[in-house]
Amino acid sequence: MFIINCPFCGEREQSEFKAGGEAHIIRPKQPTELSDDQWAEYLFMRKNIKGIQFERWNHAHGCRKWFNLVRDTSNDEIKAVYKMGEKPPIK
Amino acid sequence: MLSYNQALKGKKIFQDLQMEEIKPIMKLIIRGKKREFISAVGKSLNILLPTESNTSTQSDKLTALWLSPDEWMLFSNETVREDSNHYEIKELLSNKISIKNLGAITDVTDQFVMIELKGNKIYELFQTGSPFNFNDFQNKKGAVTQTILNKIDIIVHNLDKNVANLFVRRSFSQHLFSWMNDAASRL
Amino acid sequence: MTKNLRVKTGKAIDETYRISFKFNGSTYYGFKGDTLASALLANDIHLVGRSFKYHRPRGIMTAGSEEPNAIVQLHDNSSRTEPNVRATEVEIYEGLEASSQNCWPSVNFDVGGINNFLSPLLPAGFYYKTFMWPASFWEKYEYFIRKSAGLGKSPTKPDPDIYEHKYIHCDVLVIGAGISGIMAAKIAAKNNLKTLLVDEKPNLGGSTIYQNSDHFKINNQNSGSWVEKEINEIKKLENLEIKTRTTVVAYHGYNFLLARQNLTDHLPIEQRKNKTRHRLLKIRAKKVITATGSIERPMIFDNNDRPGILLSSAIKKYADYFGIACGEKNILFTNNDSAYETAISLIEKGINIEAIIDNREEINSKLIYEVEKNNIKIFKGYTIIDTSGYKRINKISIMQLSKDGQKVVGSKINLSCDCLGISGGWTPAVHLFTQSGGKLRFREEDQVFIPNTYPSDQLSIGACNGNLTLDEILRTTPESLIKFLNVKSSDYDNLEVLSEANKFKRNIWLLPSNKVLGKTKSFVDYQNDATSKDIKLALREGFRSIEHVKRYTTTGMGTDQGKLGNMHALGIISETTGTKMGELGTTTFRPPYTPLTFGTIVGRNVGEYFDVIRKTPLHDWHIDNNAEFENVGQWKRAWYYPRNTEDMHQAVQRESKAARASAGILDASTLGKIDIQGTDASEFLNRVYTNAWSKLAIGKCKYGLMLNEDGMVYDDGVTTRLGENHYIMTTTTGGAANVMSKLEDYLQTEWPELDVYLTSVTDHYATISVCGSNSKKIISKIITDVDFSDESFPHMSFKNVKIGKISCRIMRISFTGELSYEINVQANYGKSVWEKCMEAGKEFNITPYGTETMHLLRAEKGFIIVGQDTDATMTPIDLQMDWIVSKKKYDFIGKRSLYRSDTIREDRKQLVGLLTDNPDEVLEEGAQIVGDIKKSPIEMLGHVTSSYFSPNLRKSIALGVVKGGKNMMGQKLTIPMEKKNINVTVSDPVFLDKENKKLNA
Ligand SMILES: [Zn+2]
Repeated sequence: MFIINCPFCGEREQSEFKAGGEAHIIRPKQPTELSDDQWAEYLFMRKNIKGIQFERWNHAHGCRKWFNLVRDTSNDEIKAVYKMGEKPPIK
Repeated sequence: MLSYNQALKGKKIFQDLQMEEIKPIMKLIIRGKKREFISAVGKSLNILLPTESNTSTQSDKLTALWLSPDEWMLFSNETVREDSNHYEIKELLSNKISIKNLGAITDVTDQFVMIELKGNKIYELFQTGSPFNFNDFQNKKGAVTQTILNKIDIIVHNLDKNVANLFVRRSFSQHLFSWMNDAASRL
Repeated sequence: MTKNLRVKTGKAIDETYRISFKFNGSTYYGFKGDTLASALLANDIHLVGRSFKYHRPRGIMTAGSEEPNAIVQLHDNSSRTEPNVRATEVEIYEGLEASSQNCWPSVNFDVGGINNFLSPLLPAGFYYKTFMWPASFWEKYEYFIRKSAGLGKSPTKPDPDIYEHKYIHCDVLVIGAGISGIMAAKIAAKNNLKTLLVDEKPNLGGSTIYQNSDHFKINNQNSGSWVEKEINEIKKLENLEIKTRTTVVAYHGYNFLLARQNLTDHLPIEQRKNKTRHRLLKIRAKKVITATGSIERPMIFDNNDRPGILLSSAIKKYADYFGIACGEKNILFTNNDSAYETAISLIEKGINIEAIIDNREEINSKLIYEVEKNNIKIFKGYTIIDTSGYKRINKISIMQLSKDGQKVVGSKINLSCDCLGISGGWTPAVHLFTQSGGKLRFREEDQVFIPNTYPSDQLSIGACNGNLTLDEILRTTPESLIKFLNVKSSDYDNLEVLSEANKFKRNIWLLPSNKVLGKTKSFVDYQNDATSKDIKLALREGFRSIEHVKRYTTTGMGTDQGKLGNMHALGIISETTGTKMGELGTTTFRPPYTPLTFGTIVGRNVGEYFDVIRKTPLHDWHIDNNAEFENVGQWKRAWYYPRNTEDMHQAVQRESKAARASAGILDASTLGKIDIQGTDASEFLNRVYTNAWSKLAIGKCKYGLMLNEDGMVYDDGVTTRLGENHYIMTTTTGGAANVMSKLEDYLQTEWPELDVYLTSVTDHYATISVCGSNSKKIISKIITDVDFSDESFPHMSFKNVKIGKISCRIMRISFTGELSYEINVQANYGKSVWEKCMEAGKEFNITPYGTETMHLLRAEKGFIIVGQDTDATMTPIDLQMDWIVSKKKYDFIGKRSLYRSDTIREDRKQLVGLLTDNPDEVLEEGAQIVGDIKKSPIEMLGHVTSSYFSPNLRKSIALGVVKGGKNMMGQKLTIPMEKKNINVTVSDPVFLDKENKKLNA
């Protein structure tokens, strides 16, 4: 169980949070203009990599805010935490 | 006339720990992002909303708990009447905030049950079912946290040394209270 | 009668406090402070069990949690019975009852012992090989195996004990209260760090506490007394919490550890009542210091498993700590100096030592000189090649080792004995370190794995870090602690240490024998009966990975996880395959370090606290009125209200009829309610629902359907416009939390520009729904100042009203198809309003109905229940709800997915009504629907989702999903059941009042 540093509330145990999958997948502004393939790319395709991964998390049992974090999936180390709309602090 | 039916009956007394529901306490969730929102609330109610996370502020009549950067819980320090659910403060805020589109005011008086805990085993009780680190919290007067206790969402407000308020949603309250009593009986 | 082998009072023993206990039915005595193992040894009992596979007699081997053999069943046939308990860890108490496992009918005569003679037929992988084929034989084999094997018996009655969990947050956790752990705890606590020190034993001080030899001194005091003084000091430290009988069982990432604190297992049963038995500690430590010590290695030679063969360090502990001689004719066999420490302890207590066998030839240390001074014969450069004695060792055979240690030479010498202590050096206890993700390094010079890289803020100190002698510990530990804890100094910076053991060890993983390998039984894993022969066989058969060899031979897979023999298994693999130990790596140590009872894991989540329970404000009324309850998520909902002898069907038929004929009342408080405010509230609803919201007038209600981005129906409910920028949304009971979370997600991440605030108010309101043709009359008796005419208060509208002085909302909405009103009142007045409705409705026979009747009534109207008639593969089009999907809106969640190639298929499963040919035949929900029953293979078309007998239509009705069902109206389909085929006709899903006349009745 991780300790996650909520950008709003500080360090809390993982059980207070909900994971929300891969980060920085932006909902298309004009979905109707997209082909089936383009829409499927947005809807279904996820990277699920071993290594540095950008993820969405929600402090569901705390402030209810969504934020992003950078996690090394090979050892679960959380490299950074940042707010929605902010640029990732590392690449 | 409607009769009033509180969620938790009776005061529970254990060695070094007591708990009971305090009712009726007026409770509002107030939401707003704009700077004018905080100042309008301040001016209307003579209370400065806490902007620092996990803290609270207090006036004669009201306490404000920080819940998130744009969300606070406001509750009355004293109990209100049982035979009416008209709250002047809510009306005042609706006029100054909602109508002017500065933010949102929502009555949650019965959404949350407020349990007052007294005694020096409050945090020992929480330790039996909450992953939150209360080590520093218990020494910080006015500290606030939202966390989980026995898998149930709670808000804890450290009122003073050995006095804390716990807020829990009404539908969970009887189960949680029973669970807390069971744990307290063996502390 | 048995002998008394108590030689003098040991450190742990209170001789004034005698305790009686039973072992295998006979009564024995021990003293307060004894473990079951020490008390049995004091009574000269070594044989305590049988091995798992060959049923060989086995005795106590160790004095700690690493014990592989002496596992017993406690309090057999009682609710407190527990199998697989290590006798070395059980503290005796008055009334303790223990019995041997793995034997039938008794430990002294065991039928399964025949396996020992059949052992050539039971090699590694025997079970795999034999039972592979034919598969149908497995049942027969299984019966035989289960009966003859079996690791103890599980309890059959409910556990009477109480278990708790506790979260602990500390700055520093120190695991193990041996000399290193005590130093660490003192340094941490004295430097203002909140420190927790835990140890699995009832007392502190590890193996140093009973060390009173003149060869090991600290500041001119023998090390035992020095540690005792330190213990007394740390007990006074304010920042330090000490927990004994507390075993760290798991070490996870982010320094999250689980420990079992044992609170009552050492007490007589009658003193345990109403006390917590175990407490599972969930520890978060900023820093962890592992000081778990080391475990002595056995030696691998033929017949190295007989009762009476113990680790040399265990013999020392039984003598020093418990005051017991493990035998009268003791022999020690060693490859290092540790056995001489044991010898000196025995000599000091007047316990006879016959001889010492040392595989080293050139040896010198002060310890050895002292032993030699006492005229004890030392066979240098010798090894044991065999032992004898079936239920107790009585003889060993030794031969000289060749220079290279590969063979034995010379002639065989036999020595008689009744106890053999073996010492193969020490293995650092790195189990917890590796559980945490730590990587090990192999140290060639003394053949041990030691911690190399730490995955979190932690440090291993003392023996578990490979510091295996007293001077090494004291020289290195204080310094590394100062650095790790980031403090200035310690009390231990200038210690004077005397430590006279020689470090030299002659490590031979598998000792040579005068027999060929196939003829020997040299046990590597005692508990699972894996021998060196099995390991070599596995390698011969082509297994290379140690993880595979482990599974094939079951080495290290017992309840002890091979704490004693794993290193030898690796050593043998390394030597046989010519791979370096460091490259071979180790198998993975997995939690728990020692077994946990289920009670400890479950804690208080049993009985009424098994799962969280949510109750509506009307719950007590339902109970008082005989309701049966249904679990809906965590909610307890009134299911139906049986009268007199009614069963569920009868009650539901009565309730359903009454609700339409006159009046029914339902507790709908569990529906999710979300308060929506903000200038963009209408736009927000446009985006999250499939239909259009901008034009909804204030005071009006509207039904909405919410999709996932993949176009599948996610939730539904009625939303009411309370003001220009103010709505209240209702969601399904089960979907409330998820809908709230999903909406917040979109607001915060996709549309942060929208001025919208969401607040859950589910619990703020009691929701009371009164329906039926007389509902208006009833409501208007309670709410007198409102015009209830259709013009003033039409269907799908709402009003703010007052009942007495209490303001509440009333909506005219319907889930039954009847005229119906829903009162939303603050929860604490809910019960009172409900009672007022009951009173006002008395003259109309108002009938409370539960969820079952609600489901029936809505099915008559063809209203769906999300989650019952849908399953995340249904689009609104599939549900024949095209009318609710706006064609004009540019976008809403899920819109684009509604015309993907897959979602526009004509042959998708679609919601239809189903009418049985026989109107009394009620279908089973979940039953499969097929087309032509004669066609092979039968084509599966769909399944039944809802099915009831409708009392209002006097026939069976059902909803179901059928491939291409939309175009199958009037078509005959078949529902094959176990005993018959049921014929149905596809129909419109709306069965009753298609024209919606009843809404305005
Ligand atoms: Zn937070």
